[in-house]
Amino acid sequence: MSTASEVGTEPLVTVTTTVNGQEVTATVPPRLHAADFLRQRLGLTGTHVGCEQGSCGMCTVVVDGEAVKSCLLLACQLDGRSVRTVESLAEDDRLNPLQQTFKEEHALQCGFCTPAFLMTATALGQQGRGCPSREEIREEIAGVLCRCTGYENVVTAIERWFAEHPQRAEDADPSPEALR
Amino acid sequence: MTTVEKPLAVPTTAPRAGGIGSSAVRKEDDRLLRGDGRFTDDVEPARALYMAVLRCPYPHARVLRVDTSAAERLDGVLHVLVGAQVRAATEPLPVLRPVPGAPRLPYFALAQDVATHEGQPVVSVVATSRHLAEDALELIDVDYEPLPHVIDVLAALEPDAPVLHPEVLDSNLLAANSDGSGDPEARMAEAHVVVEGRFRINRVTALPMETRAVVAEWRPGARELTVHVSTQVPHLVRKSLAEVLRLQESDIRVVASDVGGGFGLKLGVFPEDVLACLHAMALRRAVKWTEDRAEHFRASTHARESVHDYRIAADAEGRILAMTNVYATDIGGWNSPFGSAQLSSVVLNGPYRVEDGYAERRVTLTNKTPIGAYRGYGQPEVNFAYERLMDTLARRLHLDPVELRAANMVKQEDLPWRNPTGAVYDSGDYERCLRMAAEAIGWDAHRDAPRVPRADGRLVGIGFSSFVERTGYASARFLANRGSQFGAHESVTLRANRSGGIDVYTGVSSMGQSSETAFAQVVSDVFGIAYDVVKVHAGDTASSPLNTGGFASRTMIAAAGALKEAADELARKTLRLAAGKLEAEAADLEIAGSVVRHRDVSGVQVTLAEVFTGAITGQGIPPGEDPGMEATSHFEPSDAAYSFGTAAALVSVDPGTGEFDVERFVMVHDAGTVVNPTIVEGQIRGALAQGFGAALTEELRYDPDTGQLVNGSMVDYFVPTAADLPPLELLHTEVASPVTPFGVRGVGEAGTIPPGAAVANAICDALADHGVELSSLPITPESVWREISGRAAHVDTHLNPSPGDLPDGGDGY
Repeated sequence: MSTASEVGTEPLVTVTTTVNGQEVTATVPPRLHAADFLRQRLGLTGTHVGCEQGSCGMCTVVVDGEAVKSCLLLACQLDGRSVRTVESLAEDDRLNPLQQTFKEEHALQCGFCTPAFLMTATALGQQGRGCPSREEIREEIAGVLCRCTGYENVVTAIERWFAEHPQRAEDADPSPEALR
Repeated sequence: MTTVEKPLAVPTTAPRAGGIGSSAVRKEDDRLLRGDGRFTDDVEPARALYMAVLRCPYPHARVLRVDTSAAERLDGVLHVLVGAQVRAATEPLPVLRPVPGAPRLPYFALAQDVATHEGQPVVSVVATSRHLAEDALELIDVDYEPLPHVIDVLAALEPDAPVLHPEVLDSNLLAANSDGSGDPEARMAEAHVVVEGRFRINRVTALPMETRAVVAEWRPGARELTVHVSTQVPHLVRKSLAEVLRLQESDIRVVASDVGGGFGLKLGVFPEDVLACLHAMALRRAVKWTEDRAEHFRASTHARESVHDYRIAADAEGRILAMTNVYATDIGGWNSPFGSAQLSSVVLNGPYRVEDGYAERRVTLTNKTPIGAYRGYGQPEVNFAYERLMDTLARRLHLDPVELRAANMVKQEDLPWRNPTGAVYDSGDYERCLRMAAEAIGWDAHRDAPRVPRADGRLVGIGFSSFVERTGYASARFLANRGSQFGAHESVTLRANRSGGIDVYTGVSSMGQSSETAFAQVVSDVFGIAYDVVKVHAGDTASSPLNTGGFASRTMIAAAGALKEAADELARKTLRLAAGKLEAEAADLEIAGSVVRHRDVSGVQVTLAEVFTGAITGQGIPPGEDPGMEATSHFEPSDAAYSFGTAAALVSVDPGTGEFDVERFVMVHDAGTVVNPTIVEGQIRGALAQGFGAALTEELRYDPDTGQLVNGSMVDYFVPTAADLPPLELLHTEVASPVTPFGVRGVGEAGTIPPGAAVANAICDALADHGVELSSLPITPESVWREISGRAAHVDTHLNPSPGDLPDGGDGY
């Protein structure tokens, strides 16, 4: 067995990115994908990994305002970009209005997919559009799979959040200063 | 929920917030919403190492030679295991729910001489990163001798089929079991009509969004193996690991904190759990493995695949005289810990009164991924068959399918009633659910209308599916008779703390079923303490009493009793100690929120924090009282409880193409006394979604020539998305069960049962003039089109029952 090098020999690249309002510089293997970078290097384990194929949507985060599947991005592609994960949503001890609505509507069961729905909805809320219909919400969240809830309550929660929080763009996108 | 009908006298006052019957907010939600859940892959011990597994690419192959030398030379690779090392160090994986009469197969964590399915582990490697471990797999050289394989479950039973385990068996029939009573063959012979059919059930998989994962750490000096694993049954994993690794149970701690969905798939140990432990013990370092999705499709369990030859005999008025099912059920290449679904036999007659009947199960080995438990566990399979045949019978006799069902259902006044396989249905009003479904879907108006196309060219049909769902187990004695390695009870420990709260310790891990919430509701309700200060600690064998675990819709029906007993015991002691402090009679005191107070004299009260602190320190307690405020209770319900209901689907079909849409779906369901209505509705909706997936879009397909899984990825295996599900209308009745505490019935699995039959019956109703009789799942536009256009393959053969007398149903299911 090899004992010469415990870390193995992989070339490394440097990436500088803003995650939840904080600038991060890290050296990473080029093949490290963004979801593993967030989870393993930054300890942001709220972003989950379900298929590493871009199909299940568990790893959805917001990059520069867009919901993206972080397993399909390499960590080095985050260079110069701004990333938001589920850990940025709660305000101190309080769930934010979107999270609170998910709780009240029983929009989660095992909770593994929940961060992905929250980030998908957060990105949707930032697009500055009016209240989507239930059908539109269903189409918008169809990129995230859930095996527990049957989706009905997820749709209801997002619909209610849009209806009750017209100021959601501000809720959903606090400034980097506020996040620090 | 839209409607609640409560036939029994129940209190009309609203339930107390957090108590039984209230929609208490979930205990689990805050951490999960913040991304602060602790799933197994989130556990990252210091200096952890990472495992990767090389898997057999063939369905059936002899492993001739394994060369790992190049992999071992790769920088960062620390340990490699091959089959011979595993054989020397371990026992075969145990079966927790064996098939009666089945021999034990030598199922080791790594393939020995022969691998029997694509994806079976052959070599495992540990390195300093997952990337390097997977790089190392590329450097391993294995010579395989491909062997003849068999994929089809019926072909596997043919005399010329290649035998998977010739050292143990001379065919692929692992075991056959028959359960029944009466003389069904005589009833068949004298019946006015016998309807029969062969029903093929598709191979699907539970597909929890969190794949399996394990983190193993070994401290040899302390003889302490700590295993974080994504499982529904931490205590059964601990027991199994002790057996496989030849350790004492006391050497092992299993922790399953948050589990990202189980659905029956995460029951018992899998090969990778054993491998991670072996590596960790060899290296004295933490070893972690997280299954990737491609592995999940091949190395976690599949479910449901079976072929059922069903018959129903009836008289001219449609009264059922007999019902039989001879079926071959696929178990894949090995007998996984939960193996073959047993409930296909138990509830062969569904909600219908049948005195003469039997089910014969043939558990069959094929060169495919092992079959395991999946939500519903045999019940969706037979529901599809008997409910399709009920409609066939109605058409044959020109009877209304709703009236035919109603006339044959077990009547409320006849319950409890023992079915032909010995299952005792406890209570319920099956017909009322059927009538409610018929009314909600608009059956009366539809029934007599001609089946003519709508303006859009589509034909519309309505279909029904009535069902019972066995929840929990009959008894420990019943389980013992069938060789099961667990009990019918559930166990909890309640321990008061000095903050004035109660900690609940349970071996039932949190996998989305909301047991933390429901457990806290029961404790709050029984004890009188505020819901907010009850905290449930789940899934750690080091702190929880030995229990059975979360499966078979059994958690609440058993745990509710244990929680009630323990909470009652603590409440009695709390009142006695408070009486001492308040110089009052315990009988005059009550617990309310955070205090114990006098019922009649206001201001005479003491906080729970003070009472609990006194008990914990032993200071200031009355003479004769022991210190401490803790209770452990084990509770076995007197029997299994049967949930029940009826679903109705309204489906439009394009008779030219076979395309169809489920335009309405009504589910009427009874889960007995409801602990939390919001959670119950969530369970029904989630199970229906899985039921629709299995009925319409999901099927694991194997290439018969290569024996390989064709669609083993999320891209190719279609689980329903938010945009795919039909609108679901839920109705509800509430008949308390007499066999469980509070009258609860299990609720986890019912939704998986009726979608296939209800949708198929609706399509067949719409296409009645085309003579369409669907008999296979999944139902797709193509399968409907094949039926319409006469291109469907039909078979004339059927499985014959084994000769000999029917065995009695024994002690009953």
